[in-house]
Amino acid sequence: MNAPVASSHRASRLTQVRARASGNLVLGGLIIVLVALTLGMGALEPLFHALFPELRNPLYARDSFLNLMLAHIGLVLVSSLISVTIGIAAGLFVTRPVGREFEPMVSSLAAIGQTFPPAAVLAIAVPLAGFGFAPTIIALSLYGLLPVIQNTIAGLGTVPQTTLEAARGNGMSRTQILMRVELPLAMRVIIAGIRVSVIINIGTATIGSTVGAKSLGTPLIAGLVGNNLAYVIQGALLVGLLAIVTDLLFERLERRYSFGG
Amino acid sequence: MIELKGLTKRYAGKSVVDDISLTLEDGEFGVLIGPSGCGKSTTLKMINRLIPASGGQILLNGDDVADLPVEQLRRRIGYAIQSTGLFPHWDVARNIATVPQLLKWPKSRIDDRVDELMALFHLDPAEFRGKYPHQLSGGQAQRVGVARALAADPEVLLMDEPFGAVDPLTREVLQAEMKRVHQQTGKTIVFVTHDMDEALSLATRIALLNQGRLVQYDRPIELMVEPADDFVREFIGQADLGLKLLSRRWVHQYQREARLQQTETLDSLHAHGWLIDDQGRPSALAGARLDDADAITRVKPEWIATPEMSMKEALSRMVWYRVMVLPVVDDAGKLIGEVGMQGVMGMQDEPEGALS
Repeated sequence: MNAPVASSHRASRLTQVRARASGNLVLGGLIIVLVALTLGMGALEPLFHALFPELRNPLYARDSFLNLMLAHIGLVLVSSLISVTIGIAAGLFVTRPVGREFEPMVSSLAAIGQTFPPAAVLAIAVPLAGFGFAPTIIALSLYGLLPVIQNTIAGLGTVPQTTLEAARGNGMSRTQILMRVELPLAMRVIIAGIRVSVIINIGTATIGSTVGAKSLGTPLIAGLVGNNLAYVIQGALLVGLLAIVTDLLFERLERRYSFGG
Repeated sequence: MIELKGLTKRYAGKSVVDDISLTLEDGEFGVLIGPSGCGKSTTLKMINRLIPASGGQILLNGDDVADLPVEQLRRRIGYAIQSTGLFPHWDVARNIATVPQLLKWPKSRIDDRVDELMALFHLDPAEFRGKYPHQLSGGQAQRVGVARALAADPEVLLMDEPFGAVDPLTREVLQAEMKRVHQQTGKTIVFVTHDMDEALSLATRIALLNQGRLVQYDRPIELMVEPADDFVREFIGQADLGLKLLSRRWVHQYQREARLQQTETLDSLHAHGWLIDDQGRPSALAGARLDDADAITRVKPEWIATPEMSMKEALSRMVWYRVMVLPVVDDAGKLIGEVGMQGVMGMQDEPEGALS
């Protein structure tokens, strides 16, 4: 009866499936390249020699790229965990009746956190926390806080009033409304905020190397200092790939929380 | 039973609901109606305490609602609202199961109840159970919204302009369904609307509010024939009062015997008669057509009236299909009488006799 409609449905589903399949292919390919470069950058040594004939050591060798990658991921993971925990907690607090009046204050504090360049925060954090891992974590956590807080507030704000009224009218408690209705419906926007925060931190973590935190920024900084463009490329390539792969993974996660309308 | 006693709501010293007292018996369909800002929605929401009352008392089957834990109270009261408020991340089955899940019913009981309610609203479980709200039409979503409100078999059902956001055609269908569901479940319903036709067709009791005060609380017919004051008269609308009256009259009140005839010829001038098939269903009408009074016409399905049909609808069909009489049939489709133009006029001067 509805043959044309049904077939156009099928066609659109088919394009969807195709798009998803090609998306999977791209993501899979990028992950393979990322892993291969991390483990086997050495295999490209002839290439770098050819590109930079004037350099004596065109391959960064003071540490393995695997170690640098793991350290970098560790930095981002720890700082993002802190940003997300504090950010969501703060976002939840200022959207509850008890914390509503703190909303402007929290929002502007978070905005200030992002206004300070991470390099400046690092400079302030070093005397307080010493060199290395700790000041970098402080700077990254502060820097990544704003998108999480903003999106938590915005995400909870997208939950329609009628939905909330229905939840209350059907006898849900505050906690039940939060856990069963508000958070699931806000999750897509919150995850988008986490995505921005994590992607920013993947890039920003490189400057941790200026205060002695090991990361993919280490060859990058060394290359800049020692005028070795090959080191810079090697570090930047891996950071860039890591950011793209992470972004694509987040995109997938976000999609799971989209509910039609 | 719901009793409001001196119910009052003040915002910043101004009364938006002012000393309202009324009693709605079990099984009644009560409609709160009035112009916007009259306090009808506020009154409704004070019953399940979505809005706290500033004064007065609400008794639900004898319990003061203020004494009950608020979540427990709300699980005893069904709540359906405009634009449904369905949870967009839950499928139809889970939406309907909202309150049973909060009450921790066993899964099999919830499943049975969901199927039962979907059947009540003519939603095929196989097709609709797994659909999400954005995949439903407005009418379907509204049915799911009401099904959700009825899920835990609440003592009363509150409905806040539930059909305000759907198109007029769908609204009529939903109203008819609501009437049927009310008859089948016997639920006590409090229904808010600003649409007088909706109120007249659904209510067994109408509370007309204006500026926070209860102006008149009566049965629909009484509201029409004995309006308390000019505001009531004006709000009901005088222009089509006759038609509104007919919307509260039923075909069985006007029905008279149908004259059968055997042959497909007219017996005499100006008389008309029905031909029936071997199962007693009306098949043709001899005479009584406006276009051609002498013709014998096949009975169209659109002509057929049932005893429960409102006279407004019957009259509308007579006018639209240009026929002076409609056949009245029982559930099996058998001819049991007829209702005609002259009958409509016949009842007009004795409205009290037909209170419903």
